[in-house]
Amino acid sequence: MNGSSGVAVKVSGVVKRFGTHTALDTVSLTAEAGEFLVLLGPSGSGKSTLLRVLAGIERADEGRVMLGDTLVAEGNLHVPPEKRGLGMVFQDYALWPHLTVADNVAYPLRRKRSGGDVAEKAGGALEKVGLSGYGKRYPGELSGGEQQRVALARALVGRPSLLLFDEPLSNLDADLRERLRVEISTLARESGATVVYITHDQSEAFALADMIGVLERGRLVQFDRPETVYLSPADPFVARFTGLAADLPGVVVRLDGEFAVLDGCGRRVRARSMGGLAAGDAARLLVRPAATRIVRGGDEPAEPGDGVVDGVVDGVVPGTIVDVAYRGRGYDHVVTISDGVLTGVFDERAWPRGSAVRVVLDPQGCIATGDVTNLM
Amino acid sequence: MTATDHSAPVPVRTVPSTVESTVDGTGRRRFSWRRPAATSLTRLAWSLAVLAVVLVMLAPVLGFLLVAISPRAFGQGDAWFTLAPLASALSGSTLQALLNTAITGVCAAVIATAIGTALALLFGRTQVPLAGFWRLALWALLLAPSYLEALGWTRLAERDGVLAALSGTDITWLRHLVMGPAGVVWVLASRGVPFAFLAVSGVVRGLGRDYEDAARVHGAGRWSRLRITIGMLAPGLWSALAIVFAEAISDYGVGATLAAGANFPIATYALAGAVTNFPADYPGAAAIGWLLMVLVLFALLAQRMATRGRSYAVLSGRSRPCRPVPLRGGRRVLALGALCVFFLLALGVPAFGTVSASLLGNFGSADASSFTLQAYQQVFERSDLLGPVLLSLRLALITATIAVAAGALIARVLARGARARRGGAASLLDLLMLGAVALPAIVLGAGYIFTYNLPAVTALGIQLYGTLTLLVIGLLAGALPQASRLLMGSFAQVQDSLPAAARVHGAGAARAWGTTILPLLSGSLLWAWLLTFADRLLELPLASMLYPPGQEPLAVAVTTLIAGYDFAGGTAVLVVACLGILAVIGAALVLFRLLAPAGWRRWEQR
Repeated sequence: MNGSSGVAVKVSGVVKRFGTHTALDTVSLTAEAGEFLVLLGPSGSGKSTLLRVLAGIERADEGRVMLGDTLVAEGNLHVPPEKRGLGMVFQDYALWPHLTVADNVAYPLRRKRSGGDVAEKAGGALEKVGLSGYGKRYPGELSGGEQQRVALARALVGRPSLLLFDEPLSNLDADLRERLRVEISTLARESGATVVYITHDQSEAFALADMIGVLERGRLVQFDRPETVYLSPADPFVARFTGLAADLPGVVVRLDGEFAVLDGCGRRVRARSMGGLAAGDAARLLVRPAATRIVRGGDEPAEPGDGVVDGVVDGVVPGTIVDVAYRGRGYDHVVTISDGVLTGVFDERAWPRGSAVRVVLDPQGCIATGDVTNLM
Repeated sequence: MTATDHSAPVPVRTVPSTVESTVDGTGRRRFSWRRPAATSLTRLAWSLAVLAVVLVMLAPVLGFLLVAISPRAFGQGDAWFTLAPLASALSGSTLQALLNTAITGVCAAVIATAIGTALALLFGRTQVPLAGFWRLALWALLLAPSYLEALGWTRLAERDGVLAALSGTDITWLRHLVMGPAGVVWVLASRGVPFAFLAVSGVVRGLGRDYEDAARVHGAGRWSRLRITIGMLAPGLWSALAIVFAEAISDYGVGATLAAGANFPIATYALAGAVTNFPADYPGAAAIGWLLMVLVLFALLAQRMATRGRSYAVLSGRSRPCRPVPLRGGRRVLALGALCVFFLLALGVPAFGTVSASLLGNFGSADASSFTLQAYQQVFERSDLLGPVLLSLRLALITATIAVAAGALIARVLARGARARRGGAASLLDLLMLGAVALPAIVLGAGYIFTYNLPAVTALGIQLYGTLTLLVIGLLAGALPQASRLLMGSFAQVQDSLPAAARVHGAGAARAWGTTILPLLSGSLLWAWLLTFADRLLELPLASMLYPPGQEPLAVAVTTLIAGYDFAGGTAVLVVACLGILAVIGAALVLFRLLAPAGWRRWEQR
C-alpha cells in the first residue's frame, strides 16, 4: 500500500465497545479511492473512535475493515497501524517535542526505508506547507498554526494511500482555521490519497467533503453528498446538527407530494416532508437559516398574490426583531414570533431592534417531521 | 425600515453603575496592595527575617566549608590559605571513599532510574493488578530510611544473623553479596526508586497517548515506538538520574551501617568520622564536604546541559489522555512477578530481617521456636528504649509543622516568581533552595558542630552547641528545602485569579487565602506534613551529629543499640517507631476524610 494513489475504504458492520458503553454500533460505509470523506457528529458520537479503528489504533470488536483489496480488520485479524500505509494529523498534532521539525517530518520516510534522499523529501514537504527553513527548530518553538502545518507535512510526506484527520482545526482561532482548511483541502486532494476527516463543525464539513457521514451516539445516521445532507436530512437529529434557524411546533393540514403543509400559531408553512406524516398529525417545522427572508413591517396588509388562504398568508410569519448582529456581508437577525424564535435571519440591511417584520420561509429549506412529544 | 421603535425589548448592555464602581474599587485596592509605597516597610521586615533565618541555618555551613581552605581563620591550623586538606582528601583512604561514593552513586542512579521508569510506564500505561497496594509500597519505600533497609539486610545475612539462626548454616555467598559494594548499591538504588518513579511518572502523565499513536500510524514498530517514548521522557530521566545520584552520595545511613560493617568506606561516613574522632579534623572533613558538593553539582549540571536548548513544551490543548490498557496473560504474570521481586528485595526482605531480628532475642544460636515478644515488652518498660521514640516524636512534630508552614510561604513566593518570570528575590530563593537540596545532611550537621562550637561564636553569647534547639534548627534546615519543593508544584497550579476573584467579591486577604488556596491545597499540605514528619522522625545523620548528651533521638539509639549487640532491642524500637508513624499517617488521613468539607477532598493529591 505504498502507492501514491488512494485506496477505497470499506467498513462493514463495525462495532466497538468500551466496557458497557457502545462507541460504534454496526457502522458501515464505503469511500471510493481518492474521495474526501468527512465524519460529522457531536462529541461522544463515535467519530473519533471510527477514525481510530480505521487507523488500527483501536481494535473493532465486530465487523470488518477493508483498505483497497486488503482486509485489515476482521475477527482476530488486526493489521497494526504501522502496516496500513497511513498518514494522520492529530487533534493536538502529536509532534514529538524532542525531535526537530525536520526529524518529525522525516520520521515516516525513515520507518518506511523508502530510499532516496530523506532530508530532501522532508524539506520538500515542509516547503509545500510553507515552512521551508523551519527544519532545525523544535515544535515547542512554533505557533499553533505552524505546528499544524508540520503535522500536515508529516502526514503527507510518506505519500500515504489513506490520510486521516482528527479534528485538526479545533485548536486554532477562526481566521487561521479558514486558511488551513483551504490548505488541507488542496494539498490532500493533490496527494491523491483517500481522506477521512472528522469534525464537529458542520460548516467545515460542508466546505470540505465529497461525502459526509453523520454520526449520532455510535450510529451512522446519514451518509450522503453534502447537498443531500443539507436539503434532505435523514432525521431531525441530522437536520438540527447541520444548522437550523428554528424548530417550531405545528399540525399537518394536508400533504402535497413531497411537501407537507403545517399550521400553527397563526401561520401556514409548506415544508419538505421527512415522511411518515398524515393530515392531523402533530409535527415539527425545522427551518434552515438560508430559507428565511425578511420582507416588511407586520402592520401592513399582505400584498395580493401572497396566497391568502382562510385569512392566513402562506409561508409568511409575523415577528419582532430582538437582535441584530453585523456579519460583514450583511446582518443576522433574531426574530421572535408568537411561539418561538428564528435565529440567523439574514438581510443585507439592518432592521432596528423592536421592528415588527414578516419573515418569508422558502419551502425548499423547510423540513416537516413527526413530533415525538405532544404538541403544546 | 418603516418601523423605527428603538426601545430595546431585551436590555443587553445596561450595567448597573454600582457594580461597576465595586469592580473598580476592588481592582484599585488590589493593585495598591502590591504597590511598594505602603508595604516597603513590611517587605523590609520580611527580608530581614528571611535573612536572619538563612544566616542561622546556612552561614554555619559556609564557615565550615571555608575551614578547608583557610584553617587559621578559624583557629584550626597555621595556614591562612592552603589546599592541603583538599589534597589529602584526594589521596589514600578518603580518595578511596570518594571513589566508592561516586561509583555506587552512579550505579544506584542508573539502576533506580531504570526501575523507576519501568514502574512509571507500568503504572501510567497499563492497568496493573493491585495498583493501590504497589503505590502504597512505593510510599513506604520513600519513607523508610536507608539505615533501616541496610539493617534489615545485615541482620538477615550476618554470620550470627536471622538466616543463620533459622537455617543453622551460614550462607556465605549471600553474606558476601550483601555486605559489600553490591549490597550498598542495591540499598541506595532501591531507596532511589521512588524518587525516580516520581520524576519520570510526571512526564509520563503529561505525554498522553497521541505521540505514540502518531509513531505507529507513521510506520513505527515496537522498538521505534519505545525509542520515541524514551526520547520524550528524557527530561524526566535526567532529573531522576540527578536526584538519585545526589540522594545516594549524600546518604549517611548505609555508610554508617552496612558499608561500615563491610569495610567498604564511603565519603559521608569518612566525613562524620573526621568530625567525631578525637582530635577532630575539621579541615579534612570540610574538604570531603566540598568534594561531595562538587559531585552533586556535577550531577545537576549534567542534567541542565542535557535538557537545555530543547524545549519540550508543546501545545497542551486537548491531548488525548492515556487510557491504561489491561494486562493479560503472560504480560500480566510478568508484570506481577517483576513487581513482587522488586518489592520483596527492596522492602520485604529488609522488613523481614528487622521484624524477625526483633523477635529472635540476642542469642545467635536461637532457633525458630525461640521467637519472643520480650524485646517489645522492654521497649515500653525501659526508659532508655522508649525515651528516644518519644523524643524523636516531639522533634518530628515540631520540625514538620514549622517546615510545612515555612515551606508553604517559600513555595508561594517561588511559584509567583516563576509565573511572573521575575528575577530578584524569587530566583535567589530558588537558588538557595536548590543549594540546600544539594547540601548533604552530614555536611549541614558538621557545619553546625563546627561553627556553634567556635570560641568566637560562644563569645557572642550564642550558646547553641549541644542543645536540643540546635538539633531542631538542623532538622528544620534539612526539611525546609524538601517541604517547599514538595509544595511548589501544587502552588504553581493555583491560578492567581482564584484568590483575586475572592477579593474582588469582597473577601479580605486572609479570608481569600483561607477560602480559595487552603481548600485547594489542603491535601498537598497534609501530605507534605506527613512526609516531613515521618522523614524527620527517622532521621539519622543530623541526629547523630547534633544530639545533646543523654538525649538520644530514635535513629541514634537504634544504631547504638545494634552496635552494642542489642539486636532485638534496637530492631524492636525501630519497629515500634514505624508502627507509630503508620498510625499517625492513618489517623491523619481518616480525620481528614471525616472532618474536611467534601469540596476540599476533591483536590486531594497524592
